Amino acid sequence: MRIFRILYLKELKTYFLSPFGWLILCFSSLMQGFALTATLKEFTDNAVAESLVSVVFNSPIFNIYFMFLFPVLTMRLFSEENRSGTIEGLLTAPVRTWQVVLSKFSAAYTTFLTLWIAAGVHFYLFTALTDVPPPFTNGELIGAFLIIALIGMLFISYGCLASALTSSQIIAGVVCTFILIFHMFLGLIPKFFGEQIPAAGFFNFISSPRHLVDFTRGLINTGTIGYYITTAVFFLFLTFHILDFRRWKP
Amino acid sequence: MRTLERVNPHHRFSKKNMIEISNLSKSYGRHKAVDQISFEVTRGEIVGFLGPNGAGKSTTLKMLTGFLPPTSGAARIAGKDIFRESLEVRKKIGYMPENVPLYIDMRVKEYLRFRGGLHGLSGGRLRKRMGEVMETCGLTQVRRKMIKTLSKGYRQRVGLADALIHEPDLLILDEPTNGLDPNQIRAIRRLIKNLGEKHTILISTHILSEVEMTCNKVVIIDEGKIKAADTPENLVNSMRRAGRVTVELQAPKPEVEESISQIEEVTRVVGESLLDGWNRFTVFAAPKTDTRLKLGRLVAQKNWSLRSLSRQIGTLEEVFIELTRKD
Ligand SMILES: Nc1ncnc2c1ncn2[C@@H]1O[C@H](COP(=O)(O)OP(=O)(O)OP(=O)(O)O)[C@@H](O)[C@H]1O
Ligand SMILES: [Mg+2]
Repeated sequence: MRIFRILYLKELKTYFLSPFGWLILCFSSLMQGFALTATLKEFTDNAVAESLVSVVFNSPIFNIYFMFLFPVLTMRLFSEENRSGTIEGLLTAPVRTWQVVLSKFSAAYTTFLTLWIAAGVHFYLFTALTDVPPPFTNGELIGAFLIIALIGMLFISYGCLASALTSSQIIAGVVCTFILIFHMFLGLIPKFFGEQIPAAGFFNFISSPRHLVDFTRGLINTGTIGYYITTAVFFLFLTFHILDFRRWKP
Repeated sequence: MRTLERVNPHHRFSKKNMIEISNLSKSYGRHKAVDQISFEVTRGEIVGFLGPNGAGKSTTLKMLTGFLPPTSGAARIAGKDIFRESLEVRKKIGYMPENVPLYIDMRVKEYLRFRGGLHGLSGGRLRKRMGEVMETCGLTQVRRKMIKTLSKGYRQRVGLADALIHEPDLLILDEPTNGLDPNQIRAIRRLIKNLGEKHTILISTHILSEVEMTCNKVVIIDEGKIKAADTPENLVNSMRRAGRVTVELQAPKPEVEESISQIEEVTRVVGESLLDGWNRFTVFAAPKTDTRLKLGRLVAQKNWSLRSLSRQIGTLEEVFIELTRKD
């Protein structure tokens, strides 16, 4: 546990003791602000049946910057160690490979979660500073942050895998983006091919765009929570084996 | 092959040995980088690991430190199997990889604190060790500097400090003096010599004079195979050229060649005429012999005029070239 803490803090420092983490934080707060403002404008212009939370977290702006966060947050994690060779010092120290994987994942995930503090503050300010009744419920807000935390967990595990595969940050970022696009594509298959195809149920089950819609309406589903957690664990496990491959490769 | 200490793969581990390698091999695809090597390193020894570029030195060291798995064969460090008990082995080793990869965005002190922590040090003990290694490696002045602003030599010292921080039983250094200036090479050589009093050291290097000065044992590897493993003195003495004597005489060539050939240890005599009318004879003799005395007596007896008589002393460089020459 001590080793994990040392590794975790070191990774966290690379995000927050450099301009890098702050730039992402800045960028995402800005985009969150945009998404909220754009949505509020829509609300004043015409009547919207959905809640504010639901519309914000399904807006095109949200979808674009959200996908952008993961390659940026994760591409450096392992690829930079591979490129500079520091992986050799790291893995010849008495640390276990799973400690390395988990610490890097946790640091990226922590950073990801801190990005949403700004969004939370935005919604809090809305209720605190205006006397109009908030056009959303607490359940919807909790659902929204829950699904973002879940999707983030999975997407960061994709990013970890992509980064462990290569010694180039750029390639890691591109591979991560491709995996994300593919993931999103799978979820949209029923939309393209129609809900009547036999596998539609499966694709709907893993469809992140759909989960976003449901959870931001306050429809929280334990099956979905289980799906994100197990899939993320699976991809971290793959990452572990990629790193450990050196150890048992003949 | 002059491997004096062959390892029997089935024999029991002896407490005396720090490293025991038996039939260790590593292939990269079809290329055999390390081919069935075996040697031992006794506790307290400083061993120079030599070989031409691409011989398989770094590959061997990476296997010993648990970074690369061997394709076949086994090795033990302090009695622990490098593959099955990797974590235990890694605790005992201080490793400085080739080219010294470091986290360049960290400060020297921060880096050493991180690395010490990974090796299980904490609190006062960590602080004490950090102070000590920074002192030994001459880093105290730059401890607050970012590693990326350090010169190569200083980075090398950071790498060495990193390898030393947990007081490992075994130090494995891959070309520690590569790219250093002569002063720093001397400083590191002195440091290694001092460390050798407490630690076992396996050091890969291309600087042979350094090995002659610091190491009690030399292992020479070429194309993945061990060519020699012995003390530097023994290697030098057993060289083909060692014991060769040159004499410069004023006397008829055939007669001299004839007489010298009569000496017991002499294997061959080659005479050449010099421009000033003297003749130089190169006398080849069996290894580990000294024919100077007998030659002197012969010259005196025959009453030849003599102006020089010298025995060539081999150097490790000559041994190295003799063993690894491609022709
Ligand atoms: N990752 C790798 N993939 C394929 N071949 C490799 C790899 N690493 C090393 N080799 C090959 O293995 C052989 C041994 O390399 P190694 O780095 O061990 O040599 P070395 O003795 O350390 O040489 P040098 O003195 O140049 O450092 C070389 O032929 C090299 O090309
Ligand atoms: Mg090398």
